[in-house]
Order: sequence, then structure tokens, then C-alpha cells
Amino acid sequence: MLYAFSTSELMDRPDLWQAVHSLRHSIFVDEMGWDDLRRPDGLEIDQFDHEEATHHLVVRNGELAGYQRMLPTTRPHLLTEVLTDLYEGTPPCGPDVFELTRYAVAKPYREGRWGVSSVGSELIAGFIEWGMTRGVDKVIIEFEPMWVLRALQLRFLAQPLGYQRTYGRQQVVATLLTFDETTLRTVREKRNFDAAVLAQGEPDFIGYRKAS
Amino acid sequence: MAHFDKTLEYIDKIQNAHTPEDVCRALVDVTSQFGLTALLAGTVPGQGTPGEEQRGHVLLCDWPMDWLERYVTRNYVDHDPLVQYMRKNPSQVTWSDAAARIDLDRSAREVFCDAGAYKLNDGYALPLVTLEGEIVMISLGGEQVDLDEHAVRLISLASTYAIGRAIQLSSASPTIDHRPELTPREKECMRWAAAGKSEWEISQILGISEHTSEKHLLNAKAKLGASNRVQAIAEAIRHGYIA
Repeated sequence: MLYAFSTSELMDRPDLWQAVHSLRHSIFVDEMGWDDLRRPDGLEIDQFDHEEATHHLVVRNGELAGYQRMLPTTRPHLLTEVLTDLYEGTPPCGPDVFELTRYAVAKPYREGRWGVSSVGSELIAGFIEWGMTRGVDKVIIEFEPMWVLRALQLRFLAQPLGYQRTYGRQQVVATLLTFDETTLRTVREKRNFDAAVLAQGEPDFIGYRKAS
Repeated sequence: MAHFDKTLEYIDKIQNAHTPEDVCRALVDVTSQFGLTALLAGTVPGQGTPGEEQRGHVLLCDWPMDWLERYVTRNYVDHDPLVQYMRKNPSQVTWSDAAARIDLDRSAREVFCDAGAYKLNDGYALPLVTLEGEIVMISLGGEQVDLDEHAVRLISLASTYAIGRAIQLSSASPTIDHRPELTPREKECMRWAAAGKSEWEISQILGISEHTSEKHLLNAKAKLGASNRVQAIAEAIRHGYIA
């Protein structure tokens, strides 16, 4: 299941808060080499973990298996502040547009080099369901170009916001994805799971397994 | 910025193509500016895939027909340096670089030589990965190829959308975009109208006649099924044409 938390709700659950920020550190700093974000306490936190951010957590076997963060575009976000060379013109913004950042699947829950794991696709189904309940039907994502093809296969309507750039070893392109019922149906079909993934309430206490 | 608008226009055209042939044409429109006039895209077949099955891997093709025939019947796919390169290291590459990085045996040289006979002297190839983890290779070739950094960025972007569209068209379910199709100009006029500009002001901003800006707005209004300007703007916002 996928749980959505505001930043303050997340801080009320120290076990989850700790799990979220250490998963982010292990993936984005240790694995992907975003050294600017390195911290001695092994917790990755940035200026966008503010009160209007929403944190999506996928919990499996009592541990944090997947994560993504949704940022409103009605205030400064990654694209407008940090990744400014990824867009041309004026980036889309409004109450119906969120920016999806820090998409992460914990190592034990991945599927090979190219595959989209069930945790990965649960995050996708999750942000669509979450968006639909609150009048959001567009997300800005800065991702590897190969995700554009996957998004189109999942029946997102995709629109590039700029050209791709190379950051370190990674190619990144900013893309606006629009979704509707067809998208959700397609995502559910591809993952062979028809029910909603967005959970009510909170998960039980979880322990965080350090990435090996 | 100006060239990015052009890029969006190309991608719009690709996404609104209704047949694989239209997708092909829309993509070649983009790439032919840089001398890449022929295109083949498909999933990379495993070593030893029989000829008939190889054809099933093709998603988009506007190679010269007899060259494709020759390629399949002579089983060039198992010797093509590009295919070898992509199987080993899926990343974007020019044909000549791929050839330089692979040990060319006699049959590999033959493939390149033969391609030259069809006026495919050099080219550019890039891999994409599908949801199912399959590698799709797009290979573009031409007689006189002239690529710079901007060209490569534009080509990889346009190719990705072209393959996405081709895969959408090859699967049965309907596409997501049921929106009325506005042309880039119509969208632009609507955006300015939403910003409170008059027809005359829009014509000055866009460097078109007042009559033309009026026509774009009327067309957009009709396509959006709106009875007046305000409703048209509201509909354009709802459909995501105006952010």
C-alpha cells in the first residue's frame, strides 16, 4: 500500500521520517552520487521538505520499499530553483500541477537494470490516485529520457519542457505528464493489480533495513 | 527558446500521427534537416532470429524497400556493427563511432559497404528501453550527415516520442488524448487572449495580421466547443493548453 503524508504528519512518526530520509540518502547520495546532498548523519533533507510537500511511502514487509515526494508548483520547486537549465520558456504551474521528485525504490525491491518493479509501478499508480482525489492531473518529472517512452506506454500524455541535459553520468529531461482514467487503467493492467493502492490511515511501526 | 517552440511543434505532430507511416514521416521531417533521411526502428532481435521473425521486430521503417529486403534475406542483423554495439552497450552512437568501437569482421564491413550503395553513408542510432525491458533501437541514416549537439538533442527527443507513438498505435487500446486538436498558433493566441490581450495586441505580439489572430481565436473557440471567448479560455485551461 501507498501512504501519503504531509511533512508535519511524517515528523510525528519518527520511525517513518528516519526511514524516508535515510532511504533517500542511500539512493541519491550513496548510489547516484549527488554529493552536494551528502550529510554525516546519512539523512538526505533539502529545502523542499517544507510544510506543503507530500511524501508518498510504499511499505512492504514492514519496511520502506518505495518513496516519492510531491511538491506544489504554486511555490518554488526543484525545476524553478535548482534544475533551471532543464526548461525553456515558462514552466507550467498551478494547483493542478505537482512536481514529482525523489522517486526511489529500495534495492531489494528492484527488478533488474531495466525493469519497473511492482513497488515502482505502485508509486506510479499511487500518485495518479492521489492526484485524482485532489484535482491534480499533471506532474512535472525530471527523469532519464527512457522514462518518456515508458510514460507514453502507460498512456500518459507527455510533453517535454526542455532538452535533455547530462548531469554526471545521467541524462535528465524535464517532462510534463498529464493523466486520466485511461492512464490509471493502463497502469493497473500492466501491473496486474486492479484495486486502489492509496491507503487510508498510517502503517504500523517500521524498521529500516540499511541498503547493503 | 524559438527553436524549442519548433521542437514542440514537431513533437505535437508526432503525437497526433494516426498511422506508423505518419509517425515515420513526422520524424524524418525532423531528422532530414541534418541529412538523416532514412529510418528504421525496432526491438533488437536476438542472435540467430529467422528473417521472417526479424520483420516482426520492426516498429517504424522507411528504409529503401530493396535495402530492407537485402538486410533481412542476407541476415545482416547478426553482422550489423550497430546491432552488435547496442547488444553490448545500449547507448547513443553514430554509425561511424560504432564501427570504430567494434572489431569489424568481413561480414560487418560488408553491411556498411552495402548500406553505402543505398546512399546510407553514415548515421546515428540510439536505444530506448520499453516498460517490458526490451531494447528498441532507432537507426537513422543518410548520404551526407551533419550533426551537432543541438541536432542530437532534438533527434533523441523526437525519436523517443515517435517510438512511444508507434507503440501506442500498435497496441489496441485507445489513446489518452481526446482533446480537441489546437494548432500551435491557435494555442499561442489562446494563451495571449487568456492574458487579457486583444486581437490587435496579439497580432502585434506574434507579428501576424489582426485578421489572422481573429481567425486563430475563432477556430480555437469552435474546436473547444465554446460559445464565447471567456468560455473558450476556460476550456483551453481545462484541457491543459494554457497553464
